[in-house]
Amino acid sequence: MTNTLPKPQSSVHPLQSFIDRLLRGEAMLPHSPTNLLEVVGILKSYGMVLDAYSKNLIYIAEEQFLVLFPFFKYFNGEVSFAKLLKHWNHDRINYEYAEYCMRTMLWHGGGGLDAYLDSPEFKAACEVAVQAKIKTNLPLRALHRLFPEFLPEQVRQSAYYSGLGQFWTVMAEIFLTLSDRYDNGEIPDIPAVVKYIKDGLVAAANVPITYSVTISGQKFDIIPDSLGLTFLPDTAIPYVEAVFFRGTPFWGTVSYNAQAQQISPDQSRFTYGALYADPLPTGGVGIPPTLLMQDMRHFLPDYLHDYYRQGLRGEDDLHVQITQSFQKSMFCVTSAALQGLLPHSAETTVPDEQAANQAFLASWMDRLMTSRIHVVQLSDR
Amino acid sequence: MTQFLIETSWLIPVYGLAGVIATLPWSTGWVRRTGPRPAVYINILMTAIAFIHGSLVFRGIWNSGSQELTLTWFQAADLRLSLALDLSVVNLGALELITGLSLLAQLFALGYLEKDWALARFFALMGFFEAAMGGVVMSSSLFLAYSLLEMLTLSTYLLVGFWYAQPLVVTAARDAFLTKRIGDVLLLMGVVALSALVGSLEFNDLYEWVKDPQLSPWAATLLGLALIAGPTGKCAQFPLHLWLDEAMEGPNPASILRNSVVVTCGAYVLIRLQPIVALSPVALSTLVVIGTITAIGASLVAIAQIDIKRTFSYSTSAYLGLVFIAVGIEWPGVALMILLTHAIAKALLFMSAGSVILTTNSQDLTEMGGLWSKMPATTIAYVTASLGMVGLLPLGCFWGYHLGIDFLWEDSPALVVVFLTVNFLTALNLMRVFRLIFLGAAQPKTRRAPEVAWPMAVPMVFLTVFTLLVPLILNRLYLLPPWEYVNIPALMLLVTSGLAGVVLGALIPISKTLARSLQRPVRIVQDLLAYDFYTERLYRYTVVWLVERISWASSWFDRYVVDGLVNTVGLVSLLGGESLKYSISGRSQGYLLTIVVGVSLLGLLMTWTMW
Amino acid sequence: MMLSALILIPLAGAIVTSLWPQEWPADRIRKIALAAQGISLIWVGWLATQYNITLPGMQFVSSLAWIESLGLTYRLGLDGLSLPLLFVNSLLGAIAVYSSPVTIRRPRLYFSLMLVISSAVAGAFLAQNLLLFFIFYELELIPLYLLIAIWGGARRGYAATKFLIYTAISGILILGGFLGLVWLSGASTFDYDPGFAQTLTLVEQSVLLVALLIGFGIKIPLFPFHTWLPDAHVEASTPISVLLAGVLLKLGTYGLVRFGLQLFPAAWSEFAPWLAGWAVVSVLYGSFAAIAQRDMKKMVAYSSIGHMGYVLLATAADTPLSILGTVMQMVSHGLISGLLFLLVGVVYAKTGTRDLTVLRGLLNPERGLPIVGSLMILGVMASAGIPGMVGFISEFVVFRGSFLAFPAQTLLCMIGSGLTAVYFLLLVNRAFFGRLAIRPPSDAVEPDLNLPRVSWSDRVPAVVLAIVIVALGLQPVWLSRWSEATIVALRSPIVELAEASTPAVLCETSTTFPCAL
Repeated sequence: MTNTLPKPQSSVHPLQSFIDRLLRGEAMLPHSPTNLLEVVGILKSYGMVLDAYSKNLIYIAEEQFLVLFPFFKYFNGEVSFAKLLKHWNHDRINYEYAEYCMRTMLWHGGGGLDAYLDSPEFKAACEVAVQAKIKTNLPLRALHRLFPEFLPEQVRQSAYYSGLGQFWTVMAEIFLTLSDRYDNGEIPDIPAVVKYIKDGLVAAANVPITYSVTISGQKFDIIPDSLGLTFLPDTAIPYVEAVFFRGTPFWGTVSYNAQAQQISPDQSRFTYGALYADPLPTGGVGIPPTLLMQDMRHFLPDYLHDYYRQGLRGEDDLHVQITQSFQKSMFCVTSAALQGLLPHSAETTVPDEQAANQAFLASWMDRLMTSRIHVVQLSDR
Repeated sequence: MTQFLIETSWLIPVYGLAGVIATLPWSTGWVRRTGPRPAVYINILMTAIAFIHGSLVFRGIWNSGSQELTLTWFQAADLRLSLALDLSVVNLGALELITGLSLLAQLFALGYLEKDWALARFFALMGFFEAAMGGVVMSSSLFLAYSLLEMLTLSTYLLVGFWYAQPLVVTAARDAFLTKRIGDVLLLMGVVALSALVGSLEFNDLYEWVKDPQLSPWAATLLGLALIAGPTGKCAQFPLHLWLDEAMEGPNPASILRNSVVVTCGAYVLIRLQPIVALSPVALSTLVVIGTITAIGASLVAIAQIDIKRTFSYSTSAYLGLVFIAVGIEWPGVALMILLTHAIAKALLFMSAGSVILTTNSQDLTEMGGLWSKMPATTIAYVTASLGMVGLLPLGCFWGYHLGIDFLWEDSPALVVVFLTVNFLTALNLMRVFRLIFLGAAQPKTRRAPEVAWPMAVPMVFLTVFTLLVPLILNRLYLLPPWEYVNIPALMLLVTSGLAGVVLGALIPISKTLARSLQRPVRIVQDLLAYDFYTERLYRYTVVWLVERISWASSWFDRYVVDGLVNTVGLVSLLGGESLKYSISGRSQGYLLTIVVGVSLLGLLMTWTMW
Repeated sequence: MMLSALILIPLAGAIVTSLWPQEWPADRIRKIALAAQGISLIWVGWLATQYNITLPGMQFVSSLAWIESLGLTYRLGLDGLSLPLLFVNSLLGAIAVYSSPVTIRRPRLYFSLMLVISSAVAGAFLAQNLLLFFIFYELELIPLYLLIAIWGGARRGYAATKFLIYTAISGILILGGFLGLVWLSGASTFDYDPGFAQTLTLVEQSVLLVALLIGFGIKIPLFPFHTWLPDAHVEASTPISVLLAGVLLKLGTYGLVRFGLQLFPAAWSEFAPWLAGWAVVSVLYGSFAAIAQRDMKKMVAYSSIGHMGYVLLATAADTPLSILGTVMQMVSHGLISGLLFLLVGVVYAKTGTRDLTVLRGLLNPERGLPIVGSLMILGVMASAGIPGMVGFISEFVVFRGSFLAFPAQTLLCMIGSGLTAVYFLLLVNRAFFGRLAIRPPSDAVEPDLNLPRVSWSDRVPAVVLAIVIVALGLQPVWLSRWSEATIVALRSPIVELAEASTPAVLCETSTTFPCAL
C-alpha cells in the first residue's frame, strides 16, 4: 500500500524543517526553559480541568440520559444549598466548554464512533433504551412517534458525552503524571514532554470506548464492548481533528452572514481550531475558549503564575497569556500525536517507509501552513 | 396597594437600569476570579420584577382608567421639559409586551450565549434596551419619547457592536447608528420646532395645539416630514432601512427584540405623532408611499435572501411598512393591531432561527435541510410563528391583516392589494425557508442536530403556546370584531392570498447547491433582490460619497488655503520658522516673555497718551 | 476678597512651586499644584453655596483702585455667567495637574505655569474692568505658549508661535475695541458698564464690535481664524490640550457674550443674522473637516471648532433661553472635550500613536484599553448629543432658544450635530472595534501585541469628568440654576420686547417662520 504513495517531490516542503524535527523526535515547538515551564505548567492545570470536565461529561451521559430538564447536570449528583449558591455565584468550573467541545466533535464527526451512530445496530440499541426510558411518559411517547429522530439524536449526543469523557480521562491522567515527573526533575526539555505524551497515547491506544446506561435498574448498551471502538482511532483522532484543527467559527471574530461567505461550506476546510486560534481576543466577547482559560487559571502551578505576573500587564492579561501557553502545549500534543501515528518508525532506514513517513507528515504540514506554528517559534511573549 | 403600584410605575423602566448598574462589577472586569453569571441572574430578575409590576399596574388601570404621572425635569426661561408618563391600557399593554418578550429573550440568551464570557455586558445592554423601550411606550411627552428613542439608538449600536472584534460588526454597528441618527436628527428638528411653536412637548398640549396651529402649509409639511423621519429610521423603512439587515450581525437574542419590539417603539411614537403629522396631507401621503415601497420591496428582497436572519429581518421592514400605511391613512387601530401580532410572531420566528443557528453553526439556508424530525421544539415554533405571521389561519397577524383590509376596503382598494401582496409574498417566503431548513435531506452541517437545551427550548415553547393563544387573548380584550361584522369577501381574499403563497412556496424549485439561477434574466433579478436593490451601493455613491468629498475638500481647503494663506503672509514663517526655533531650548523664554510683556506695556503707554 | 482668592490661590501655588529655595522631588511639586487647584475648586463650591441665585446682578463685588489715571480698577464680580465657567476652570485645572506625569521634565516651571493659567483665567472671568480683563486675557497667553513650546510634540515651535501670534493679534483687537469704546463714549474709567455704548452711533458701535468679534473669534476659534487650534492641540501635551479646549477657548465665547453682546446691543442685533450665518459656516466647516482627519487629536480639535459654533449661534439669537444655552454649551463642551482629550492622551501614551489608519481594536479586554474605550464611547456619545449626558440638553437649549430667531441657521447647525456622530463614530469604530493592532498589518511573523498596563490613575480624571457629564445630563438644573436670573437681566433692551411675549405671541411669531425658512 505504501508503494502507491508518490515519492517525495523534489521541491522541499515549506515546513520541511518541522517534518525533520518530528522525525528526529522533537516537537514543533522549539525547546527553551520558558517554553518548558509554560507547557508543563499549563498541561498541569489543563489536566486538572480535563479531569473535572471528563467526570462531568460521563456523569451527564450516564445519569442524565434523556433528561429533558437537566437543571443540576453540572452538580455531578451532589446537590446542596451551599453548592447551589456557589453555582449561582458562577464560582465553578465552566462545564459549558466541555459540552461545546463535545458538540463540536459531534458536529464534525469522523472516526468509528461517528460511523457507528449512523448504523442500524445503533438504531436498534438506541430504540430499546429510549423505549425503556419513556415507557411511562405519554407526551414524550407521542413526541417520539411524531418526531422519530428527536430522541435518537439526543442519544447520539449522549454517546459523544461519554466518548469525549473517556478520552479526556486518559488525557488528564497523562498530563497530570507528566507534571509529577517534571516536579521530580525527570522532564528536562520539550522533546521529553513530547515523548512522554506520545508514549502515553500509544499505551492507551487500544483502551476500549464503551457506553451503557442504566434505566430502572436495567443496563442498556449504547456502545457495546463488542463493537471494538478504541481510544486512539475513534476518539483521539476525531478530537484532534475537530478541536485542534477545525473548530467552529467564533461569533466574536467571524461573521456568520451567509452572503458574506466568510465561513467555508465545507467543514473539512475549517481552520478555527486551537492550533490556529489568535490568543489576542481571548477574554473578550464571543470567544468560547475563554471559558477554558478561566477554568485553568484556578489550577495554575505557582511557578507558572509567577511567570505570568512578570508580564507587561501582569495579571490583567492572564487569559491571553494562558492561551499562548496553551497553544504552545497543543503544538506539543499534536507533535506527540503525529509521531504516534507515523505509518512507520521514525528511525526507519527503508526508503519507501521514509517516503511514507515524509508524505504523511507533509500532508499534515499542508494544513498547518496557516496555523500559528510560526508565531510559537518566537521567543517573545 | 394598587394605587401605590400605579404611582410607582415610573420604576418599571428603572428596574432595567438598576440591573445595568448592578452588572458593573462584572462587566468592567472588577470581579475576575468568578464568572459573570450573577450579573445575568440579576438582570433577569429585574426584568421579571418589571414584568410583574407592569401586569399589576395593567390590571389596576384596566379597572380604574388612565392616569398620568408628570415630573417637571427642566425649567428655564420659557422652556419647560417634563418627564410625563401616560398610564393607559394600550401603553401598559405595549409595556407588558416589551418586558415579557425581553424576559423570554433573556432566558433564551442564557442558553444561546452560554459560552460567551462577556455575558454581563450583554445582559446589561439588554436591560438598558428594555428600559429605553419601556420608557418610550409609557411616555406622554414627545421630549421624553425622543430622548428615549435616542437611547434606543445608542443601545442598538452597542448591542449590534457587542462582538466588536468581528470585522462586519464594525461596519454594521456604525451604519446602524448613523442611519438611525439621520432620522433622529430630523426628528429632533421637528421636536425643537414644535417646542418653540407650542411651548410644551406633552402630547396632550400638542393635540390641543393641532386644533388651531396657525401654520402655513409649507411649514406644516416640513414639520410633518421631520417628524416621520425618526420613525422611518427606527422602523427600518425605505430609504433608511439598510441598518436592520446589517444589524443581524449582532447576537440573535438581541435580534429577537430588535425585530419585534424595538421597531415597534418607533412605530409607537409615530402613532402618537400622527395627529400632528396629519396637519400636512403631504406628510400623510409620504407615509403611505414609504410604507408601500417598503412593504412590497422588502417582501421581495426577503425571498432572495439566503441568510436565515436576514430573510426574516426584511420581512420585519415589510410589516412595519404596513404599519406606516395604516398610520398614513389615519387608522392607528390597525397599526397597533399589526404591531402587536407581528411582534409576537416575529419574536418566535427569531427564536427558532436562533436555535437552528446554534445547532448547525451556520446561517446559510443553502447549507441546511432535514431538521424537522430531530428538532421538534424548533420546528413547531417555526411553523406556529409562520402561521402567526401570515393571514391564513385565524392566528395573530391574520387579525391585523383582516382589520387593515376591512378598513381599506371602501376607500383605497389599491392599498388592499398591497396588504394582500405582502401576505402572499410572506407566506411564499416562509414556506420556502421552511423547505430549506426543515425538509429535504440532511446536509453536512445539519447531519448532527440535537435539539437545543432547555434554557432555549423553554422560552421557545412558551412563546409557541402564547402565539397560539393570541386570538383568545385578543378576544378577551375585545379586540376581535364580532362575527356579524366580519367582511367575508375580504376574509376570502386574505386566506386565498396566504394559501396561494404557501402553495407557490411549496412548488417553486429550490436548489441548495446553486443559490443563483443559471438563467441570466432570473439571475439579474435574483441579484437585484439579494443585494436589496443595491441600496448599499446607492448610498455609497451618493450620500457617503458626498460627505466624503465635502470633508476632504474642507480639509484640503483648511490646509492649503486658510492655513497656507496665513503662512505665506509670512508672519508665521518669518517668526516661527527660523528665529524662534531657539525658544524650544527654553533659554530664550525669558527673552520672549520680555517681548510680549513689552508689547503689552507699549500698548498701555500708547493709550495713556490718549488720555 | 472672596473672589480674589480664586486668583490668588493658584498664584500662590505657582509662586511656591517655582520659587521655593529647596530642591523638591517632582512628585511633591505636583502635589502642591494639585492642592492649590483642589482648594480653588473647593472655594468655587463654597462660593456657590454663598451665591444667591435669585439675584440677577454682580455679587461679591470688590473694587480696589489701581491706576486711576488709566481708568484701571481692580474690580471683580461674580454672576451667573461666570460662576459655572469658574467651576469648569478649577475642575479642569485640577484634572490637568493630576493627569500630568510625575516624570515630567522641569516640573517646577511646568506646574507653576499651569497654575498661572488657572489664576489668569479665573481673573478674566471675574474682571469687571475692561482693562483688567485684558490684562488677565493676555496673562494666560505666555504660560500657555511656553507650555506648548517646551513640553510639546515634534513641531511644537511652529505651533506655539502660531498660537502666540494669533492670540496676540486677538489681544490687540480686543484692546483696540476697548480703548475705542471708552474713548468714543467719553467715559473716565474702564469699569464694566453695559450702558457704555448707548451714546455711540451705530457705525461706531459696528466698528468696535467687528474688532471684538474678530478678536474673540480668533480665540473661540471661528472659521477662518481657527487654524492655530488644531496645530496647537496636536503639539500640546494632554493636560495642556485639556486646559486649552476646556477652559481657554471659553474666554472667547465668554467675551463674546459679556462684551460683544452686552456692550453693543444695537449693533449686535444688526449683525445677528450674519453672525448666525457665520456660526453655521463654522459648525459645518469644523464638522466636515473633522471627518477627514486621521489624527484622533486633530479630529477632536476640529470638533471643538464645530461645537463652539453653537455658542455663536445662540449668542446671535439672543433670547433668554439661547443665552442660557451659551453658558450650558460652554460648560458641556469644556467637560466633554476635556474628557475626549484625556482619553486620546491615554491612548497615545499607551500605544504611541493617534493615527486612525493603524489603531484598531483597543476595546480588547485584556491587552487593549477597555475601560478607556468605554469612556471614549460615553464621551463621543455625549459630544454627539445623546440624551442622558450634558451635551444633549445644552444643545437642545441652544437650538430651542435660537430656533424662532433664526430657524434656517438653527436647522443647519443641527446638521452639525448629526455630523458629530459621523466623525466620532468613525473614530470609535476604527480605533476601538476590530482586532487589536497599533501598526499596519504586515506579513511578517510578529509576537502578539502587548501594550503597557493602564493604571487607575490614568483613568481617574476621565472617570471624574464622565460622572460630572452624566450627572449634569440627568439633572441639568444643577447647571442652569446659577445662570437663569442673571441671564434674564442680561438681556439687551431691544430684544426684551419680543421676549416678554406670552405663548400666544409666540404663535404669532411662528407664522413668520416658514418665510424665514
